[in-house]
Amino acid sequence: MKERFRALDPRLLWVVLALIGLGTLTLFSAGRNTPQSGIWLKQSLWNLMGLGIMAALAGADPRRFFRKGFPAYLVGLLALLAVLVVGRRIGGSTRWFVVLGQTFQPSELMKWVTLLYVSQRLGSRPPDQVTRLDLLGAVGLVVFPMLLIQRQPDLGMALSFLPILLLIPLMKGVRARWIAALVVFVLLGGAAAWNFALKPYQKQRVMIFLDPSSDLQGKGYQVNQSRIAIGSGGLIGKGFTSGSQTQLNFLPVKTTDFAFSVWAEERGFFGVLIALALFGLLLDRILAAARAALSATEAYFCAGAAGIFALHLLVNVGMVAGALPNKGMVLPFFSAGGSSTLSFFLALGIIMGIQHRARLK
Amino acid sequence: MDPRQRPVLHRRLGAMRAMAWGLVALLVLVYAWLQLVRHGEYQQIALNQAVKVRPLAAPRGLVLDRNGHRLVDNRRALHLVIQREDLPTKPEVVAALAEALGLDPLALARKVQSYRQAGKGRPLVLQENLDESGIALAERVRARFPFLGVEVAPRRVYLGDELAGHAMGYVGEVDEELMKARPGAFHLGEIIGKEGFEAAGNDRLKGIDGQKRILVDQLGTEVANFGQIDAAPGRSLYLTLDAGLQKVAQEAMGEEAGAVVVLDLRDGGVLALYSSPSYDPNLFLNRLSQDMVDRYLANSRTKPMLNRATQGVYAPGSTFKLLVGLAALEKGVVTPQTQVYCAGRKNFYGRDFRCDKPTGHGSLSMVQAIAQSCDVYFYELASRMDVDDIHATAEKYGLTERTGIDLPQEKRTRIPSRAWKKKAVPRDPKWYAGETISVGIGQGAVGVTPIGLARFYALLATRGKLITPHLFLGLRDDETSQLIPAPAPPVRDTPLDPAIWAVLDEGLYEVVRGGTAAASALKEITMVGKTGTAQVATFVDRAHYARQAKALKDHALFAGYAPREKPQIAFAVVVENAGFGASSAAPIAKKLVQYWFLDRPVRPLPPPRGKLVDPFAPPPEAPE
Repeated sequence: MKERFRALDPRLLWVVLALIGLGTLTLFSAGRNTPQSGIWLKQSLWNLMGLGIMAALAGADPRRFFRKGFPAYLVGLLALLAVLVVGRRIGGSTRWFVVLGQTFQPSELMKWVTLLYVSQRLGSRPPDQVTRLDLLGAVGLVVFPMLLIQRQPDLGMALSFLPILLLIPLMKGVRARWIAALVVFVLLGGAAAWNFALKPYQKQRVMIFLDPSSDLQGKGYQVNQSRIAIGSGGLIGKGFTSGSQTQLNFLPVKTTDFAFSVWAEERGFFGVLIALALFGLLLDRILAAARAALSATEAYFCAGAAGIFALHLLVNVGMVAGALPNKGMVLPFFSAGGSSTLSFFLALGIIMGIQHRARLK
Repeated sequence: MDPRQRPVLHRRLGAMRAMAWGLVALLVLVYAWLQLVRHGEYQQIALNQAVKVRPLAAPRGLVLDRNGHRLVDNRRALHLVIQREDLPTKPEVVAALAEALGLDPLALARKVQSYRQAGKGRPLVLQENLDESGIALAERVRARFPFLGVEVAPRRVYLGDELAGHAMGYVGEVDEELMKARPGAFHLGEIIGKEGFEAAGNDRLKGIDGQKRILVDQLGTEVANFGQIDAAPGRSLYLTLDAGLQKVAQEAMGEEAGAVVVLDLRDGGVLALYSSPSYDPNLFLNRLSQDMVDRYLANSRTKPMLNRATQGVYAPGSTFKLLVGLAALEKGVVTPQTQVYCAGRKNFYGRDFRCDKPTGHGSLSMVQAIAQSCDVYFYELASRMDVDDIHATAEKYGLTERTGIDLPQEKRTRIPSRAWKKKAVPRDPKWYAGETISVGIGQGAVGVTPIGLARFYALLATRGKLITPHLFLGLRDDETSQLIPAPAPPVRDTPLDPAIWAVLDEGLYEVVRGGTAAASALKEITMVGKTGTAQVATFVDRAHYARQAKALKDHALFAGYAPREKPQIAFAVVVENAGFGASSAAPIAKKLVQYWFLDRPVRPLPPPRGKLVDPFAPPPEAPE
């Protein structure tokens, strides 16, 4: 048992505990005087379970997990297929299994399983022996579950698989002509999509993103109210449980997608600085684990995990501020939710295991 | 790991680390922009949407009759409204809302526009007086249009329905024309009196709206009250009307069109003022149906919106003979004893003028001429005077001016003169002597309002006092509910010669004792008065005339006072297209006098028609 706790990287652990603290305060305030007033307790249970999983994985040899990468990936794909058939339909999309009254979202876990398997495949050989076909295969391994998830549909979740592709430039380096090709592809693809593929409501969504105040009663309402919450928080915030936007319900879905706005309104710019600094330290510690990793596979996993955390941070924190489109990506440690919380802790457990193994040597 | 790979990987991981901190720095910049640079702007928006100033509608004062019976009451009602701050800006939202509520989209869009420009104040009312089904509809519609609200506000209930429609009038939202005509006097959306005493007494009846500053949540529900200025209710007041007498007038008129006015001779108070057909002011309270009601009523041939008592101008017929007789006696063209021979007709200026009695009345003095309503006698009087003499007398005794009753848009009584014809008939400005003959019996260009006629007979009753008819009796002390009497409007003295007065009074007495209205005499009370039959059209053949449609029949009039010995009330009754004054108007006057002097105390006011919706009524108790 002692061994287990010694395996936890203390510097990463403090950052995680601090973030959990901020997230719990936020959920307490967001749930006040609503039917969800107990959500902070429920989320604390998930956090405790997550911490337990993290501690358990940190003491284990991470190579055991990488060896199981392929069967895990297959099981994950089957789960994604199964959820399309027998999953619970909530709010127009089919993303959840219902087990013992709890909803479980397999795509959350599949993200990490995919990262695990792709890291293992690409890291098992020296970079110069990895062929273009191997790279293409890796891209396919990432894109296939993305397509299944988009069938649910859940674009935000599908996009959160993309950081796994970071492993390719990490291994092969970045070439100028790749960047050029990417820019050309995005421009042409965007133009083609705008003219041929996008439906009017999708175009409207883009327009609303560009100018949220153009549709205050419709889709832009949420983001606009979130901006008002953040902006009105000012330098020091309105005080804990005293945010008017939060407490008077002007702020929508405040326990999940817009949880960070609650924090920003009530704790102000100082609170935002603290939270963002903690997230920066989190990424920093994960990348430090990548640097320390004994094998390429382990380094790739950590780097990919840092990418996934960074994307969640960018999209969620950027979205609630109105700086990015509303893609429904959760913010780790702030947004309430069982599947995502357990999945994040699972990844952190493996990362700590990787670092622990390196430290032992 | 391949030892050659490690330094490369570390370099690339270093780049990722820099990118991670770069990302954090970028987000810090975004939040610094929102929370530091644009803080003030967003703080203002957050404040504006959570802290609202809501007007508190002041209830209007109650209106009671002289005995304290309520003519108008206030009930609480629910209105579907949009608060000023929440007015929708997008045309398609307004159009969708209009469709959902079944309103005219153009009218609604115009209204939203004008309310948005007007700033703070009463909310825009979409539907008034919601009943159970209206509340259910409002809840459904609110799901789509979250800016809708439901406001509790007092509403008017006119008791007795049509009993005093024209006297009371009704209230409604101030309209654009009035706001333009009197800038600064009204607020947009203000409820004001539109007609009748509601309009004339608006300044007394209206209260002062209060307001409250409240904290609302996203649904617009009040979460906290930061303080309020209470609305000051309008003053309740008493009218001179007697609901019982008014009821008698209503019942006596029945289905006939016309008007009844009864005046209190002590101070000029209006005891009854009924215009038939009447209207139910409650119909006008629903703002959105008003256009429809207006159109319907305006097109109706019976013109129920016209207040015939103050706005109907009728040829007075024989009731005018008293003024002609007064003018002749004052001018000295006849004496009370002068005899005029009536042969049933007489020729003036080459034209035959008929008397009512084809066989003729024989030789008559003035008292007899009034009693028998002999036309030839008054033709003769008129022929001895100029029309301007008659006009001057009318002017001297106040008949040419408005009576000054406290009701809006009173019409002026029309007594022709040479100057009048020059102005009124520019095609043919010359006055012909033959026209004066017609004026002598109250025909031709003469037109009086029932209120004006009643005032003239009040002048005769009081031996020359010119009263000002009025409805306002006094304010109500809000604590004790007692009347605080208001000073009556001034009474003017006129130089009416008592000797001349005695002749006229004698004539009026003879009318009811043994003259044209003998059938309407009362045993207990000496009512005096004069019948009148005003021709609507002239026909040579009486038999042909009798077969004509009702619309072409003569108007019947009766005006007088009672009791003769010490007059207390004066009255005027007009019944349109009813034939002879003696047979239709005088019996109505008899009923009024009978009630006022014999059948009082007052019968109770009838209960309001139909069920009133009170959304705050406690639910019926469940059986145990």
